[in-house]
Amino acid sequence: MSDSVYMPLLDLACGAFLLAGVLVLWRRDLAAIVRLFALQGAALAALVIVLAAHEGSAGLAAAGVAVGGLRAGLLPHLMRRALVAGGEGQESRPLVNVATSLLVAAVLAMVAYDASQPLVRLTPTPATQAVPVALTVLLVGFFVLVTRRRALSQVVGFLLMDNAITATAFLTAGGVPLVVELGVSLDVLLAVLVLQVLTLRMRAAFGGTDLDELRELRD
Amino acid sequence: MNAAGASLLSALGLCLVSALAGATAPRRVRPLLAGLGTACAGAAAAAAGVAALAGQSWSAWLPGVLPLAGARLALDPLGGMFVAVTGAVAVCAAVYGIGYAKHGVDGRVTQATLPLFLGAMLLVPVAASVSTLLVAWELMAVTSLLLVLAEHARRPAVAEAGLWYAVMTHLGFAAIVAGMAGFAAGAAGESFEQLRAATLSPAVRDAVFVATLAGFASKAGIVPLHVWLARAHPEAPSPVSALMSAAMVNMGVYGIVRVGLDLLRGGPSWWWLVVLAMGALSALFGILQAAVASDLKRLLGYSTTENMGLVLIGVGAAGFFASCGDKELAGLALVAALLHVVNHAGFKTLLFLAAGSVLRATGTRDLDALGGLRGRMPYTTALFAVGALAASALPPGNGFVSEWLLLQSLIHALPTSGVAGAVTMPPAVGVIALSAGLAIATFVKAFGVGFLARARTPAAGRAAESPPTMICGMALAAACCVALALAPAAVLPALSHLVAVLLPGHEAVGGVVTLRLADVQGTMSPLLIAAALAVAAALLLGSVRLVARRARRPARLWDCGAGPMTPRMEYTATSFAEPLQRVFDNVLAPESDLAVTPTKESAYLVESIHYRARIPDRIERRLYDPVLAAAASIGRGATRLANGSIHRYLAYGFYALTGVLLVLAVVW
Repeated sequence: MSDSVYMPLLDLACGAFLLAGVLVLWRRDLAAIVRLFALQGAALAALVIVLAAHEGSAGLAAAGVAVGGLRAGLLPHLMRRALVAGGEGQESRPLVNVATSLLVAAVLAMVAYDASQPLVRLTPTPATQAVPVALTVLLVGFFVLVTRRRALSQVVGFLLMDNAITATAFLTAGGVPLVVELGVSLDVLLAVLVLQVLTLRMRAAFGGTDLDELRELRD
Repeated sequence: MNAAGASLLSALGLCLVSALAGATAPRRVRPLLAGLGTACAGAAAAAAGVAALAGQSWSAWLPGVLPLAGARLALDPLGGMFVAVTGAVAVCAAVYGIGYAKHGVDGRVTQATLPLFLGAMLLVPVAASVSTLLVAWELMAVTSLLLVLAEHARRPAVAEAGLWYAVMTHLGFAAIVAGMAGFAAGAAGESFEQLRAATLSPAVRDAVFVATLAGFASKAGIVPLHVWLARAHPEAPSPVSALMSAAMVNMGVYGIVRVGLDLLRGGPSWWWLVVLAMGALSALFGILQAAVASDLKRLLGYSTTENMGLVLIGVGAAGFFASCGDKELAGLALVAALLHVVNHAGFKTLLFLAAGSVLRATGTRDLDALGGLRGRMPYTTALFAVGALAASALPPGNGFVSEWLLLQSLIHALPTSGVAGAVTMPPAVGVIALSAGLAIATFVKAFGVGFLARARTPAAGRAAESPPTMICGMALAAACCVALALAPAAVLPALSHLVAVLLPGHEAVGGVVTLRLADVQGTMSPLLIAAALAVAAALLLGSVRLVARRARRPARLWDCGAGPMTPRMEYTATSFAEPLQRVFDNVLAPESDLAVTPTKESAYLVESIHYRARIPDRIERRLYDPVLAAAASIGRGATRLANGSIHRYLAYGFYALTGVLLVLAVVW
């Protein structure tokens, strides 16, 4: 693949990746959040496949397809099932409101851009130039984890962070070894399954999945 | 490979095999297999140590064993001595442990950990690089901690003792890591040969010595780092107590000698005066606490602190003399200290094993609840008597020989060591004399109250003698004590030789039957003293027989007509120590409270009186309790940070991460 095709495609995939992450902060409808997450998974898969096409590596392409299957297919499917079983369609009151969240996301993007400059300077290739995007999504995911109340939003925040870590790995090092990637994916899958069970249990116990209800369980 | 290396490796291999046997064998044969394996490992280690003392040296580099640096092992005379002592103690404790295991310590974890503990203790003195030493040291700490916790399900005090031990041993480890890492950073590498060749600035040398001294002294139970010892040693199962108190604490001494005298090749005299002062303080404080303790194993634990203090007096004096340029006296003091390590290992093994035998038979360690064991446990009583005599530093015992040598080296210090020596050595002599006197009182109490007279409780009255394996283990230790007492010349030449290598000079002590000091006036013959005592005793008995020719006639003991005497009238451990407690009231600061409850009808008629007396460890009270209280209050204050909200906990992580990124973005 020539650079004139590679660069725009890479930028497009990264832009979709970033936009999906930020839009999670904007939407309060849980079903829409899951859709955005699926979109981000697809963007991540596309990103990996573009990298694979650029390097001409079949293994990397296979990894991209696997990543897409997991993050755009299986995980959103599981979350949708949890959503149907949970019966709650809305993120009720985020701890930080939507407008402020978007502002914070802008600030986080700047922090991430500045903090990742040393990494970019190490090898200034087009792929490494995109590392700030991944770091931004990581911080946004963490921010979702901190400010959203529903268990499902928390899962999405956690998975955004994981997507960002995977993206960083592919952008900087052409992916991690297969064993590590498999292990991490399995971890993520298990975490989602556990959180799905947790959501159901919380709903059975409290009638809602607001995590602040758990406050009284401390020692 | 020579004999020393072969036996050391076979000892380590046997440790692993016994650990495997302890972990997998069925419960019925587990103590037997693990115990026999450990005993064989101990014997092989003792052989390796003796071979090393005889002059064989062995070293190995195993690059694959530890990551990055590889394991570096070397057996030299100094390490060999500690390997030999550890091995010999392990033989006694392992044979004893076969019989003792039925007393609730035959679980898989305990039986598998004991050989590993022995292996770790053997690795410490043969480690020849910083990383190997640190790994072996930590392995020793962790395995011994597991063993201390063996009976945690039965007594809550065990968990507390384990916690104290875990914290203290890891603080000590941190100090050693800091010191040794600083040392290795200043040298060309981390093997001991490179450390010996290193030239460090005086400030770095001071820091290295002080840090390692703190770590090693805490392992040796030296005041003020002794608080774990008097808790952990009593709460461990008795064979483990013996291993810890007779072998593990020695590693602290080994570390100080190895780092201070070997790797740093001596130092300024204040280092060694600090060591000497810590030793003197430990000797006095330890024996005072032992004298007033009424828990038999706690008493022995404090006695360990005392004896390690005496050893450190010797080590400190040796370093001090060496820094003053008096190599001969330095050699004598170090020989005395190392001989005391050997002697202490012998009698402390015996005493802890005998205490375990009493504990097994009566279920208690409280001297006030014992008594009357002489008739029911004759072997244990006789063997404890041997140990008590040895620990009292009286002439036919082995403790006497080393303390005499130590006194000789200190007394002859005056002419050469200048003002510092003239000021410090006489008090040190006084400390040794006082601690010897108090040790006699302590062990008269332990033996007289614990074993003689009449049983104070039904449990003590029902005591039965221990099984043969336990007696065999104790008898082995007793035989070592007697041999060391009568023929110290069997080990003294080897020790003198090793010291002459360490502090270049000629051998400090010679002679076979009569010990002759090479550089100062002084001769002593333990064998002749023992023979003279035996002859005197025989003469006395014979003359009593001659004078009292009438036949024996049983009669009732005179009881002032007050009716039969009850065990309640006997001296207890507390009452026996009471005069001592009065004399040292200011030091010990005993606590007592008296609650008198009058009857309802009249304030002048007493219904009941409750009296409680306690002698707390004053150093712990003054030094540790404030620190613990401060830590606890900080912890309570910090719970305000954790209010239970998941979002808040996540936010802490988020703020920390973005904060770090911001700092990086600004700084970079």
